[in-house]
Amino acid sequence: MTPRLTVRGLSKSFGGVAAASEIDLDLHAGDRCALIGPNGAGKTTFVNLVTGVLAPDQGRIELDGRDVTALSAQRRVRLGLVRTFQVARLFRSMTVREHLELALLERDDRTGSLFASIRRVPGLADEVAGLLDTLGLGPAADTTVATLAYGQQRLLEIALALALKPKILILDEPAAGVPHAESRRILDALDRLPADLAVLMIEHDMDLVFRFARRIVVLAQGRLLCSGTAREIAADPRVREVYLGSRTHAHRPP
Amino acid sequence: MQTVLGIAIDGVAYGMILFIISVGLSVTLGLMRVVNLAHGAFAMVGGYLASFAAQSLGLPFEAAAAGAILLTVALALPLERLLYHRIYGSANELAQVLLTIGLTFVVVAGINYLFGPTLKRIPLPDYMEGVVNLGPKAIPTHRAFVIAVGIAAIAGLWWLLERTDFGVKLRAAVDDPAMAAALGIRTERLYAATFALGVGLAALGGILGAELLPLEPYYAIRYIVLFLAVVAVGGAGSVFGSAGAALALGIIDTAGKYLIPDFGEFFFYAAMILILFRWPNGFFQRRPA
Amino acid sequence: MNPHLRDAAGAALLAAAGLAAFWLFPEDLGLLTRIAATALYVLSLDLVLGYCGVATLGQAALFGTGAYAAGIAAVHLVAEPMVLLAVGGVAGGLMALATGALILHAHGLTLLMLTIAVTQIAHEVANKARWITGGSDGLSGIAPDPVLGLFRFDLYGRTSYLFALAVLVVGLLVAQRIVRSPFGLACRGVREDALRVAALGGSPRRTLIGMYTISGVFAGVAGALTAVSTGIVGLDSLSFSWSAEALVMLVLGGAGRLYGAIIGTLAFMAIHHILAATDPFHWMLFIGLFLMGVVLFAPGGISAAIERAAGRLRRAGARA
Repeated sequence: MTPRLTVRGLSKSFGGVAAASEIDLDLHAGDRCALIGPNGAGKTTFVNLVTGVLAPDQGRIELDGRDVTALSAQRRVRLGLVRTFQVARLFRSMTVREHLELALLERDDRTGSLFASIRRVPGLADEVAGLLDTLGLGPAADTTVATLAYGQQRLLEIALALALKPKILILDEPAAGVPHAESRRILDALDRLPADLAVLMIEHDMDLVFRFARRIVVLAQGRLLCSGTAREIAADPRVREVYLGSRTHAHRPP
Repeated sequence: MQTVLGIAIDGVAYGMILFIISVGLSVTLGLMRVVNLAHGAFAMVGGYLASFAAQSLGLPFEAAAAGAILLTVALALPLERLLYHRIYGSANELAQVLLTIGLTFVVVAGINYLFGPTLKRIPLPDYMEGVVNLGPKAIPTHRAFVIAVGIAAIAGLWWLLERTDFGVKLRAAVDDPAMAAALGIRTERLYAATFALGVGLAALGGILGAELLPLEPYYAIRYIVLFLAVVAVGGAGSVFGSAGAALALGIIDTAGKYLIPDFGEFFFYAAMILILFRWPNGFFQRRPA
Repeated sequence: MNPHLRDAAGAALLAAAGLAAFWLFPEDLGLLTRIAATALYVLSLDLVLGYCGVATLGQAALFGTGAYAAGIAAVHLVAEPMVLLAVGGVAGGLMALATGALILHAHGLTLLMLTIAVTQIAHEVANKARWITGGSDGLSGIAPDPVLGLFRFDLYGRTSYLFALAVLVVGLLVAQRIVRSPFGLACRGVREDALRVAALGGSPRRTLIGMYTISGVFAGVAGALTAVSTGIVGLDSLSFSWSAEALVMLVLGGAGRLYGAIIGTLAFMAIHHILAATDPFHWMLFIGLFLMGVVLFAPGGISAAIERAAGRLRRAGARA
């Protein structure tokens, strides 16, 4: 079966520093993959390369077998590659509902209509209601993001990603900065992601990684160090070495 | 019928005046991220004060000019602390445009009230009259003087930026303001000093350029577009960029006005559009303006 | 309250106020007509600045293109007022589309300079093409036919004013509709965070060019309206200061609300009418201080002040 996402030989340097070197990765439908590595390993650069925010120096990126290396970030989103942002990037003056409406309208290419009324777009209100329900954002639907709790902002990020009906979802530290009291909701949302969605999660929180990922990929200094199941990674001495000195749970059994 | 040399000299002199006035605007935009549409007003105030000192107070040119520059800077510094300070940063762009347009209007009205609507001249000292001979050709002394001052200004600013402590801190703060503050650079003092330097140079340019850019109350509004063009084309925050842009635009504008007077301003704006279209961040691309 | 109902109420209020002015100030219809046409012009700027976040000093280029197109058409081709408005709108829209596609990739100072440059070049072109535009003397001899074949443009300016008022009210209704549409929502997204819109699969550039074109249509209609109701088109309709005045009026009234554009125009032009009879420099001093005051103490202009006051009243009412 063709992988949803194929990355081959992805490389990018800034000045003399190699932020990404010869990275290979495959993601299949239904994958739950976590990308980990110490700070400065190049995880965010990798995400920016894959999503098209940065242009690689070398390498190839394919979606469902189709070469998208030269395509813009917007085009990749339309082909089903969606990401969330590590620091929530939302429209502060818009309400939660308006965010979801915009995402759905963009998805269905309806943003060209000048004179239609948003309320009267067929099916829109129902789909928005469904998303609000799935993420538990119903009560906050008409609050502007500027006054929204941070945990709910992260949930909205995920809701926006789901609204776009992605084939591949890249989550950049979905629980980062969220107080423990609110992170439960996010974990639940991650558990309930569509089964056939290919998910790549960047994370530092090892509890979340071990709970969520069936496959873990380790990045260090721009290079793919190793990949495998949680148990294999935890046992790998190279991984321990790369994390030595930082707060780590890599030695804990899964 | 102007010769090629005549056009070149006039163009370069005009370019030097544009540079001396605009470089301060470029640096404040690059450093404090503020679009100062009132920058032309500072040049105007410098020129008017020098004219007043020379004509009404009878001071010699050098004293009048020095006094005018110092007084203009003294007037500008409190404005920096009280007004400009509040609108630094690229998020405040619209507020900057409006506040500085407002300030310009106030200064224009004030100048008119104090000095009246007629053109003001600054009597030049004897050594700036006449012509200077460079081999077979003769150049008006005033133009030669302006070009010399311009070259000195470029050299002086280069030395300031590359060879002094102040310059290192300034360049660091332009490249990465957050980092500079984190490294303990006293950004407030840096901003005030830079602002003062820019205003001082603007005043100098207003005084030296009084023949090319005549002093009348609408000066600040009439010429601000020129100064902004130099900054946009040269790249905000770049001294050499401003110099290059000012000279290029000065020569193109002068050549256009002499050779095809019917289409005078057209060349200036067409050149600007073409350059900005190809290099949206200016010649010496630093951060986006 | 249902937002659509609120919009309609606003437009009705405008119409009512306009009609009241008609009866209360029969001697000042010329001024009121200019206010109505200018309000439509400033409304066009609000669409692109208030709703898309694009800071431009080039709105006059769009207004002037519409004005000259309508004026030239009136003198040489057709004098039916509605057709002239359409000509102006199309001309303004095309100008916006062409220049927008070229310059809207830029931001900040660069974009400001590009918009200024476009305006200056348009100004020069109109100045040089004397044979058709009248050059610095302006274009005169615009004699429009009766509106809808029924209402002649009379010497007292009654038809002019009511026509302008009607166009303004319709313009407001259309703008309200656009702003509440899916397109309007996309514009607001681009204004806040263009990168985020791209991450949703949208195209910020296409959205910007789209709204800029629409704003060009509105500005062009405003220009045509001015030409039709005053009978002349001058070079100052393509001037940098006309662009700047629109910006000042919009900011005074408050951008991003549509009705702010109308309030700002009314306030600015009324005060100008009173003060400019004196020394023009007094006017400059006043408007300069006012601008500085707005930026420092009342960002968001008159409409934001009204909304704050209304909010306080509502809270006081709820507590009582």
